[in-house]
Amino acid sequence: MTACATVDNKHFLRLMPTILPIERKKSMSDFAKKIQLQKVLAFGALVILYLFFAVMGRNFTNTATTLNILAQSYFVGFLAMGVTFVIITGGIDLSIGASMMCSTLVGGLLLRNYGWPLWLCLVVVVAFGTLVGLCNGLLVTRLKLPPFIATLGMMLVTLGFGAIITNSTTMRYPTNEGWFRSVFLRTDNNSPTGAIWMLAFFILAFILLNKTKIGRYIFAIGSNEEAVRLSGVKTGRWKCAAYVICGFFTGLGAIFYAAMYTTMIPNTGNGIELQAIAAVVIGGTSLAGGVGSLSGTIIGVFIMSVLRSGLVSMSLPAPYQTFFTGIVVIGAVLLDIYRTKKANEVKRVK
Amino acid sequence: MKKVLATALAVILTVGLFSGCMTQDEDTMYISVISKGFQHQFWQTVKAGSDAAAEDLGVRIFFTGPEGESAIADQINMIDAELAKGPDAIALAALDTEAVLSQLQDAYNRNIPVIGFDSGVPDAPAGQIAANASTDNEAAAALAAEKLFEVLEDKLTAATADSPVVLAVLSQDATSASVTGRTRGFVEKMAELAAGVNDSVAIRGGLSSINKGDANAAVIVEVVVGATPDITDMTNAANGLLNTENLASVFCSNEGAVTGLLAAINAGASVPDGVLLVGFDAGAAQKDAVRSGLFMGAITQDPFQIGYQAVALAVKAARGEAVADIDTGAKWYDAGNMDEPSIAILLYD
Repeated sequence: MTACATVDNKHFLRLMPTILPIERKKSMSDFAKKIQLQKVLAFGALVILYLFFAVMGRNFTNTATTLNILAQSYFVGFLAMGVTFVIITGGIDLSIGASMMCSTLVGGLLLRNYGWPLWLCLVVVVAFGTLVGLCNGLLVTRLKLPPFIATLGMMLVTLGFGAIITNSTTMRYPTNEGWFRSVFLRTDNNSPTGAIWMLAFFILAFILLNKTKIGRYIFAIGSNEEAVRLSGVKTGRWKCAAYVICGFFTGLGAIFYAAMYTTMIPNTGNGIELQAIAAVVIGGTSLAGGVGSLSGTIIGVFIMSVLRSGLVSMSLPAPYQTFFTGIVVIGAVLLDIYRTKKANEVKRVK
Repeated sequence: MKKVLATALAVILTVGLFSGCMTQDEDTMYISVISKGFQHQFWQTVKAGSDAAAEDLGVRIFFTGPEGESAIADQINMIDAELAKGPDAIALAALDTEAVLSQLQDAYNRNIPVIGFDSGVPDAPAGQIAANASTDNEAAAALAAEKLFEVLEDKLTAATADSPVVLAVLSQDATSASVTGRTRGFVEKMAELAAGVNDSVAIRGGLSSINKGDANAAVIVEVVVGATPDITDMTNAANGLLNTENLASVFCSNEGAVTGLLAAINAGASVPDGVLLVGFDAGAAQKDAVRSGLFMGAITQDPFQIGYQAVALAVKAARGEAVADIDTGAKWYDAGNMDEPSIAILLYD
């Protein structure tokens, strides 16, 4: 599960023989070790947090809490997996929260006001998320907007669009009736079906990031975009692909958000993107790009859910959850900075 | 290595921090109270009531609530988390009934009684809400009618068909259960009291289901409903109302109606001499109007009792005793008593 997610060395070296000195091979493996360490630390933190709450919390280890931790991880998990791709390219996607809400609203509108069958609405939900991702990608690669600005703009666009098309009314997905929640959240006898989906798409994303050309270029662009471009690679196309993948996962996340909450209110969903980005950072993906792993991201997602459920199980009011999530994010970024600095030192000494 | 040490240290410190403030006692009854909000002073007073009940009854409660009325997802997370903790009962003021249907079903399946408080869980499936602790809106508005009648009794006795007296109600809408309940409560109580001193009493206006009596009665209780609940339409309705001939009093059945009336007055509409104004609920503008004497007084709900009775009902239900809806009562306040501590705590801004 801890497959290291740096650039495939062989491929990378063939790609840019003149730019990277041979010593890089050594420093890469040091670099890899650092990432492993961060992931081990993150996983250790997850275990420690869980044990801590198991002792201190009320009924923290029972089935219901475990199901809650899982259920709260689904939509954030999909968003976080998607945005991992973008962050590895050195970009950022701030639109995922609003875009996810907007996708659920589009689907809900078709379901309620136009009577489309649910499965078709869900296809549209995923397609809409992907479309927003494509817009982000084109804004960043074709129009050369900084990712922060482009996706901030799309965040506002989707936030507004969702409210406009629904006329600011609430959209509802099926709650107790039908197959929707048993397929995407959990069955009546509490089998967490959402976890199966998340595992399946984790494997898909993992292969995409670590075993395919797209993944290798995404890492390479994040490490040194200019070098990749000078080697004759059309970087724009691959970077755009990262945003489209992110959009696709946002659309999927929207389905699981709808299954979890069923009542969709326009103009909400702000801040969900930050939960996802925080999880990615906690998992050891560097905001500077070029370094990252999906397994780390998933660990980050679970750290956040365990923290949230755990603080509630200790009967601490909501503001404490926000507070401690902030502490964890700051801690994770500090680790990231420390690690990057260390890695650079290694290079200089050589 | 330094990092590992730092992390370990941080964890130990955090553990220490929490272990200090945690007392785990599995035998004490545990009640989850999930409100519709938290920061608003209204909810702070509800919380004070819940805490007092927990103290009196020797149970442990956890009072929580989302940040605002649109934070449905947050509230669902809170209900899920509380259900997972296996409470002995839950007190709930749901933001949206449909959104919590599966949580209600879950609680029902696991025999965790759910008590509604404040607005409760309207239209919940039968049997899934054990009881409600909420304001009886009709009784609360009837209190306003009694207070007005005390002052207006002579005027009503003297009224004739040639010089009638109009007692108006300004109502923000004719559909919401709480607002129509108040309007009905006021109108029916006032008509009943007036009938005791004058033979000719009529009810007319926007709530047609309760209209009765002759067009040229001596005492007329008139209901005015805004065209829409918007502030502009409420202001228009209030303007028209203040121009009504023979007007003696105006009762505003919620804060929205008060806001409309005050907006009309601020925009230049004059209150005819001797016309008494009565409000409902609190809010900064209304409190100022009462304090300055522009309003004769107003009715406030009792959020402290709402919180107290919610926990009391939850404890009873958890013990398996029979529970029934409780009216948490309402209080009259005016310039004279609004600064008394027992009243001031009920008046939110």
